[in-house]
Amino acid sequence: MAIETEFAELRPSERVSTDTIARASRRGGVSLYLIAIYGVLIVAAIIALLPFLYVISTSFKDTVALFKYPPEWIPSEPTLVNFQELVQDYPFLRWTLNSFIVASSVTVIKVLIDAMAGYAFAKMSFPGKDALFLVVLLTLMVPFAATLIPLFIIVRDLHLTNTYIGLILPALASPIGIFMMRQFIETLPADLENAARLDGCSEIQIFRRVILPLVRPGLVVLGVFTFMTQWTSYLWPLVIGTKEEMFTLTVGVQSLRSLFTVNWGVLSAGAVLSMLPLVLVFLFLQRYFIAGSIAGALKE
Amino acid sequence: MGQVELLQVSKRYGDSVAVDSVTLGIEDHEFIVLLGPSGCGKSTLLKMIAGLEEISDGEIYIDGRLVNYVKPGDRNVAMVFQNYALYPHMTVFENIAFPLKMTGVAKTETRERVLRAANALGLETLLDRRPEQLSGGQRQRVALGRSIVREPAVFLTDEPLSNLDAQLRVQTREELLRLHARLQRTTIYVTHDQIEAMTMGHRIVVMRGGVVQQVGPPQQVYDEPANTFVAAFLGSPRINLHVGNLDRAGDGVTFRHGEVTIPLPPRLAHLARVASASDDVALGIRPEDTHVLLQSSEGTSDQVTLPATVSLVEPVGSDLFISATTGELAWTARAEARLPVRPGQQLSLRFDLQRAHLFGADGRNLAHPG
Repeated sequence: MAIETEFAELRPSERVSTDTIARASRRGGVSLYLIAIYGVLIVAAIIALLPFLYVISTSFKDTVALFKYPPEWIPSEPTLVNFQELVQDYPFLRWTLNSFIVASSVTVIKVLIDAMAGYAFAKMSFPGKDALFLVVLLTLMVPFAATLIPLFIIVRDLHLTNTYIGLILPALASPIGIFMMRQFIETLPADLENAARLDGCSEIQIFRRVILPLVRPGLVVLGVFTFMTQWTSYLWPLVIGTKEEMFTLTVGVQSLRSLFTVNWGVLSAGAVLSMLPLVLVFLFLQRYFIAGSIAGALKE
Repeated sequence: MGQVELLQVSKRYGDSVAVDSVTLGIEDHEFIVLLGPSGCGKSTLLKMIAGLEEISDGEIYIDGRLVNYVKPGDRNVAMVFQNYALYPHMTVFENIAFPLKMTGVAKTETRERVLRAANALGLETLLDRRPEQLSGGQRQRVALGRSIVREPAVFLTDEPLSNLDAQLRVQTREELLRLHARLQRTTIYVTHDQIEAMTMGHRIVVMRGGVVQQVGPPQQVYDEPANTFVAAFLGSPRINLHVGNLDRAGDGVTFRHGEVTIPLPPRLAHLARVASASDDVALGIRPEDTHVLLQSSEGTSDQVTLPATVSLVEPVGSDLFISATTGELAWTARAEARLPVRPGQQLSLRFDLQRAHLFGADGRNLAHPG
């Protein structure tokens, strides 16, 4: 160890290179470049955020304030009346619950299925494996709109319209997660499973005790991705749910626009509340994303 | 406990044969080394004993029990992998405890046994660390710990030292030998490193292309190689091996290659007469039996002296490796470190033919027919 540190001190090249960067960044050219980059980023952020901010602002305005001219960004008399109306006059809480049940069930079940299928495709050998995987991937090329009507007919004939199972089941079959988990699991060295096999693990135990913990970053990414997709999913819940109490948030909020009048305040309140969990989920799990990517880098 | 018996074990992948009808008996407590170049089938054979590769043909017995269809975890064997294969998400303690946990050993006993293994390997202070926080040598010891904690009948090790630096390799080699001496467990050790094979094995099994070439104690395999492959694979620098013809005219037998002639001593001449139908042979003389003489001198009947020109001098500290040519033939000699020799210099090579080998046209040592 001592020898190594002595050698490290003899190695001047690294210090020179950091010095070069420091010197370069003090020069005007680099900071102008940074200003340009940040300028573009700020403009893009404003364009992306403005509609959200306006929706948030609208949700706190009463009917009078809504149509003031010029419009106010920050309401002079903020009110919670829209939120109150939303919860009292509409089954908003039920919709939220529906969305939660559907999105969480799909997330948990799908991540598990995809990880198991990914493990099989990555590590096991069985006849027709490559052909089967190709078929799975090919289903990626079929747009949802093409399968929507046949799928609806199947689910209707199974008497699953207006049920949670009808909402959850079709969402479980999507190849992208299988593909993703296969890619993750394929990077794990085969000797890890072999070691586990010699240590007395069954195949299920290898999957549960060795593979799953090691692909946790992949599971988190797939889980967040799935949850967000389900939370914002609109077309299938719209088709399959005809009763108001089986609406999910997306369908429910959309139904707030009646044919002749639109209560923009209530609609905005609904949009704000339905966005909220998604923002929280993302903010909370963002740390896992970063931690996951670092863990992956250090593993080898 | 700890006997392993292989009966005509083969492994085929489609048309290619990775292991070809290997029959081998391994005694209890024995330290046996499977040696060969990469792709010779030694690792495949090891994995078949472990149960990680299916057996295409043949039978494997461990302690008299046919294990062809026994799961790896139930064979009472443990394996140390080349890249250690530690579980990255577990601490050192959990890694070592894992096989016990999987076989349902009680918690208190697990703890006791893990601590004992950790003590034996000097890992006591590292038990809470994860593999990524360990050095290569420490990871190696954890992998060893995980294998000894089960107290298996047979240890299988797949090139366990190849990821360590040279100094640590020697150190770990000694540690492994001490461990084997203390635990007295049958060990099957796979390596491509002849030094490891020579220093560690009670017996070594030299393999090539899935076929066992020779089995025996290291010194015996070195001194009496079964064929040209074994002769060339063991020994550094490589044995001087030259093909040529036998000249049986007159009393003696002479080895001839171009203009170079080497009269064979009685032992080899007898072999040539008895065992070789063809006149095509290869003569093998190890570098330590090839001596450099600065002045020419007379030799005994077992010695032959030829004039040579030095082409390369390689000092390795303790010795000097001298490459020299006589006619078309190149030789390497192991000489005393401080011998004043320069490339281009003319000198004499004296071959000690008492320990030379004569190989037939099929590469087989004439001294070991069959």
